Amino acid sequence: MKSLMSAGSMKVIFAFCIGLSVQTTTLFAGQTEIELITSPATANSSLSRVVADRKGRLYLSWVSQDGQMLSLNYSRLDKGNWSPPEVISTGDDWFKNWADFPFLSVNGDNMTALWLRKSAKGTYDYNVEASFYNPKEQRWGKAIKIHKDEISAEHGFVSMLPMNDDRTLITWLDGRETRGGYQAADGSQGKQDVAGAMTIRAGVFSQHGDTISEWVLDGSVCDCCQTSSAMSSLGPLVVYRNRTEDEIRDIYITRFIDGAWTAPAAIHNDDWKIAGCPVNGPSIAARGSQVAVAWFTAVDDIPQVKLAISTDNGASFSAPVMVADQNTVGRVGATILESGIIVVSWMGDATNKAKLMLSLYSPEGALLEHTKVAQSNASRRSGFPIIESIGNDVYVTWTDIEEQNQVKVAKVRYAAEPKHSGSE
Amino acid sequence: MSLGATEPEKTAPAEGTWTIVNYWSEWCAPCRKEIPMFNKLNQQLAASNVTIVGVNFDEDSRDETLKIAKKMGVDFPTLTMEEVKLLNLKAPTVLPTTYILSPENEVVAKLLGEQSAEDMLKQLALLNLPVKTNQVSTKQTGN
Repeated sequence: MKSLMSAGSMKVIFAFCIGLSVQTTTLFAGQTEIELITSPATANSSLSRVVADRKGRLYLSWVSQDGQMLSLNYSRLDKGNWSPPEVISTGDDWFKNWADFPFLSVNGDNMTALWLRKSAKGTYDYNVEASFYNPKEQRWGKAIKIHKDEISAEHGFVSMLPMNDDRTLITWLDGRETRGGYQAADGSQGKQDVAGAMTIRAGVFSQHGDTISEWVLDGSVCDCCQTSSAMSSLGPLVVYRNRTEDEIRDIYITRFIDGAWTAPAAIHNDDWKIAGCPVNGPSIAARGSQVAVAWFTAVDDIPQVKLAISTDNGASFSAPVMVADQNTVGRVGATILESGIIVVSWMGDATNKAKLMLSLYSPEGALLEHTKVAQSNASRRSGFPIIESIGNDVYVTWTDIEEQNQVKVAKVRYAAEPKHSGSE
Repeated sequence: MSLGATEPEKTAPAEGTWTIVNYWSEWCAPCRKEIPMFNKLNQQLAASNVTIVGVNFDEDSRDETLKIAKKMGVDFPTLTMEEVKLLNLKAPTVLPTTYILSPENEVVAKLLGEQSAEDMLKQLALLNLPVKTNQVSTKQTGN
């Protein structure tokens, strides 16, 4: 892979602001500026996410661990200051997984938080629980199970999307049909001794947690890959890893158009045949009718990260662009800057010293820049980096596991007009 | 490679031993499905120069890994992270993944996804390993 990174110079800035002190380390890679921001998460923190609200404020969520007790926390970065961390929920019976972890969504003054709670001791089954924030009372509501089945099975790999009228679209993998005797998505009754497939479902929830609508988006999907959703100018888009009868596990999209979900369609036919768990879901971003989908695949055991672009709200996609070839473990993210430039995050594979990379693409898919954000670790304990953009800045969060788990946050500021550097 | 620190207590493989390395995770349904097959195969291979070891893909602490292995019913030894590093294997992109290593620790086969007993015996036969096959009857199907 052609490297476009420059060694650059390094400058360290200590900035102490009102509220929590913010320590900033600035690295200049060419014209790209990377600020490592002291995160409000303390030691033994991990499983972090960043999400922005419409006012351009950044929210960081993370999980802290004290013995067997886990807690989901969040803090807001507003004008350079982190708000004091607040605990959303705690539990000693959560399902903690480096690939399937809590989610915070912000919709105006409303917020929704999700986590996974084991449904029965000694099993591998867990439920998706949600809490909805009441801005008037300034407190989190009682946790509810978002799926209505009472079947002890795997439920997880959630994505959330703010909608109009303070509603939230929640998408999740639902394993209720993997149990014998299930009621299948088509309403038929499964045989007691025959397991069905993992399904992907979605529901629209009110700000109080009421289920307004619920759908089965696909009746057979990969069991262990993240889902991702984004809002196009025509409505919500959901991407996931599909699973065919002959174990082809490529990335599919379904779109909510005129009150109904479209038939799932492949973003690209990689034809990756694998009867296993890739643990590497896709990521989708949208800005108006522009849509970008990044994903991992490994046909013939060759790991690759790809990007496909749509200019028609996800109805059709370009041929994929190769973001990373061979030396990657995937774990992708995608976001679109205000300028229309597309950013893909991915992790390199250097056994123990993996690079956390951002790759910048023009709206047409031409490579602009690769930026190494951090020297992370390919270990599963380092989790999945998450990216979010505000304007033309990108925020990245990941877990550093060098001494003890510690959530990190960086801000990547690109030059106003990145120069086109050609494709790989 | 020394496997003396592995648990459950097993005899470290002698020199000249071929090794089957099975990467598993507790949340991986096909991993859980193939564990009984590997348990049975491990018994069948006890008198041969082929040994089976497991690796917890999630890199949990040793105590946690052993708890999970017990919960999953893993009867063959589970490697420590230090032992895994000594193998110098590339971490798999898919679970389960099973490697077959020569006595010199060279990768001679990399098997992606859920394997059946027939799959494993076929691979061992391709390597001309002296393995008794008539006692293994476990049949695995797709996950």
